[in-house]
Amino acid sequence: MAALLQVIELSKSYKLSGHWFNQKTVTALDPLSFEIQAYKTLAIIGETGSGKSTLAKLLVGAEIPSTGKVRLNGQTLNAENFKQRCQHIRMIFQDSGTTLNPSLTIRQLLDEPLKLNTTLNEAQRTQLIQDTLQKVGLLVDHMNFYPHMFSGGQKQRISLARAIILKPQVIILDEALASLDPSLRSQMINLLLDLQQQMGLAFILISHNLGIVRHFSDDMMVLADGKVVEYGKTADILNQPKHKFTQKLIMSQHFQLLHK
Amino acid sequence: MARNSIYQEETFPSPLIRLWHSFRETKVVMIGFSCFLFLFFLAVFAPILTPYSSVENNLDYLLLPPAWDVNGDVSFLLGTDNLGRDMLSRLMHGTSLTFGLSFVVVITSLVIGVIIGSLSALTKGIKSSFLNHFLDVILSIPSLLLAIIIVAILGPGLGNTLWAIILVLIPQFVHITRNAVKEEFTKDYVLASRLDGANSLRILSYSIFPNIIEKLISQATLAQSAAILDIAALGFLGLGAPIPLPEWGAMLSNGLGLFYTAPWTVYLPGLAILFSVVATNLVGEGMRHALKQSKES
Amino acid sequence: MNLLDIRNLSIELHSSHNSILAVDRVSLSMKEGEVRGLVGESGSGKSLLAQAIIGVLDDRWHVHADRFHWRGRDLLRLTPEERKVVISQDVAMIFQEPMACLDPTASIGEQLEEAVNSEQLSGYFWQKSQQRKIAATKLLHKVGIKNHELCIRSYPHQLTEALCQRVMIAMALAKKPLLLIADEPTAAMENSNQGQIFRLLASLNQLKNMSILLISHDLENVTHWTDTITVMYSGQFVEAGTTKQIFTKPYHPYTRALLDSSPKANIELPAKSRLMTLPGSIPILQHLPIGCRLGPRCPRAQQECVQAPKVKNFHGHQVSCHFSLRDNY
Repeated sequence: MAALLQVIELSKSYKLSGHWFNQKTVTALDPLSFEIQAYKTLAIIGETGSGKSTLAKLLVGAEIPSTGKVRLNGQTLNAENFKQRCQHIRMIFQDSGTTLNPSLTIRQLLDEPLKLNTTLNEAQRTQLIQDTLQKVGLLVDHMNFYPHMFSGGQKQRISLARAIILKPQVIILDEALASLDPSLRSQMINLLLDLQQQMGLAFILISHNLGIVRHFSDDMMVLADGKVVEYGKTADILNQPKHKFTQKLIMSQHFQLLHK
Repeated sequence: MARNSIYQEETFPSPLIRLWHSFRETKVVMIGFSCFLFLFFLAVFAPILTPYSSVENNLDYLLLPPAWDVNGDVSFLLGTDNLGRDMLSRLMHGTSLTFGLSFVVVITSLVIGVIIGSLSALTKGIKSSFLNHFLDVILSIPSLLLAIIIVAILGPGLGNTLWAIILVLIPQFVHITRNAVKEEFTKDYVLASRLDGANSLRILSYSIFPNIIEKLISQATLAQSAAILDIAALGFLGLGAPIPLPEWGAMLSNGLGLFYTAPWTVYLPGLAILFSVVATNLVGEGMRHALKQSKES
Repeated sequence: MNLLDIRNLSIELHSSHNSILAVDRVSLSMKEGEVRGLVGESGSGKSLLAQAIIGVLDDRWHVHADRFHWRGRDLLRLTPEERKVVISQDVAMIFQEPMACLDPTASIGEQLEEAVNSEQLSGYFWQKSQQRKIAATKLLHKVGIKNHELCIRSYPHQLTEALCQRVMIAMALAKKPLLLIADEPTAAMENSNQGQIFRLLASLNQLKNMSILLISHDLENVTHWTDTITVMYSGQFVEAGTTKQIFTKPYHPYTRALLDSSPKANIELPAKSRLMTLPGSIPILQHLPIGCRLGPRCPRAQQECVQAPKVKNFHGHQVSCHFSLRDNY
């Protein structure tokens, strides 16, 4: 299958401000490349500071890469052009108090991307919002509620609804499941799997929970200090980790994969 | 909180309405708020409601004491001053001058401060610092001194002194707005909005302002009590409203010479100033308390 | 003899409209030298229970129990203040975000010296400050921080979360407690550092025979380090027993569901298949179900579940369910 998303030599480095004569550059991410296909999930693992959140921001367009480009379906995506990108690549953040705007109703929250990016009229937008809410397992009545009335699991579902409402092709989950309780996490994973099958999405999962990664992803990439340490199929890497960083990670999570 | 449509007896208020509910719970604050509304109402309708004219002299009834005194007259409820003008009408008209003008001053400096603060928060680096701090030099000059300087340059008159007070109040709004907006920018929903393709103006009006408006209002009430005192002080010095107009500070300075013979011409305007400042402060306190409670819950 | 013996503890929240039973008749007992895990998701009342034991709940909460014994002494007869005095001598607690629990304006050394118990210092009063410093250094060594000079001089924001948690444990050890309550001690840390803290707690348990009540929401993580486990759901007691009993043969449907959502169980499942979950979500305080609070979500719920089930004891494995899974084994 032809690649849905292609990343070629993407890297990011910052100049440290404050030193006028001796400007140090900090490399957050060394050049890396990978590919994703539809219906597949790529997991990105690393400690804090390994560059995985930088990679997420580069992919979704929140930061401009220093080198490299991102191609979707063969077309290069322009770094500045949010409107072009947001229809195809969307992101779900880690649940905290700040994923949803507390003074907007859910309806206004979901209306915003529609108003900015589509030409539907009011009735069509309302219908689309209702369909999307039902798809993620919420009720139509929830449209008029404010975010403070929802629990953590439901807020993540609303973030998911915000992501899928523009019918994208790639969704980035930036530690989206980390703060959920285990039973809610399983529900969310089931929901994501269903949506992947229905809509043909590709997921990029950023996490440090190897259990979820093992269950949910097809391919895996391990980052350490901005460099790609391992990249390949999940089952291969978890069974035979080559780099000592991966080995340490697996050991520290008491994870023993049974050989089939 | 899983909700079904069964629970229809519950209402789902927006965050601003919830703030209002917790504001309403404290009795003292509600008293202050009703006094504030009363003053506002007086400020708007005083010219219609005054029983007598507040500027015309009435030489038959000079220096009448208030009605509860032995020599007083019920038709002049709070007495008259040295030119026979009814104190009650003068006080009511003074509300629209001191209180009403302070309100206008605060709104103007709020708008200007918010615009400069937002521009400062949207830009980075030197431009941002410049916008944030270029009005700080005004903070070093006391408002009275600034008013005197402006009056010396531009000539006396109510408008010029008001500009002085507006200038003095702007820097605090600039700082508050800039800090609040910068803090909001770190939040995920603003990033999500930006990724949806919203331009800066839209992000400001939809995502950011509804969430910082409470901070702005509590700062505005602080500024208003300062503005009331400033206008009264400038009136006392004779720099504010022109002579016949019954601004409370001017009334105070007018009555000062007569303090031993007619004390009511001094303490009545003083009480009025006290009343309005206390009411404003109570409203501000209530707002800040409600904000803190909503953040904790 | 049981160190801590609590029977049917309930915590009620009295508000203007009605009273909500946040914790409903939970029983807990701890022996000396035992590491017990208290597992429950958010809203299960486990933190409330720990705070009720220590005695730091404010006036809104009303705590009543049938039995609340500490080392054989009946604490219900005492006033809350006296209860606090008795408990605070022997029980210490560490919390979730250690960096937020330390004073950001004081160095670690100052805070440790403050925690040192003055009764344990001997000597004249001018020798006491030197002794305090030595005692603080000893505490740091006990939790495994070898280079104490750097640590004592630094401020909390300069240390990692794992190091701050060690400092918190050191402060808790200062009064030589018999019971340490750890309220989700590793929630704010990286996964690789979590093992350090658990190993430290395990070594303290073995060396000093100190009991530990380990509160967590992750059942699988906790099973590596505990002897016994108590499971709570939405303020109600669900199941309790030894780790082996709970892990291999859970009797309650909720415990079964918790185990199903852990990575170890999912190894068996093929990748990208649906996980076994309980439908619905955790009830909120305002709308708690009557009787067994798992009722609306439980796959085995029937008419009787409207009445709260009694606790049944099978060889030390307690479960509170009308239709427990015991018959399946």
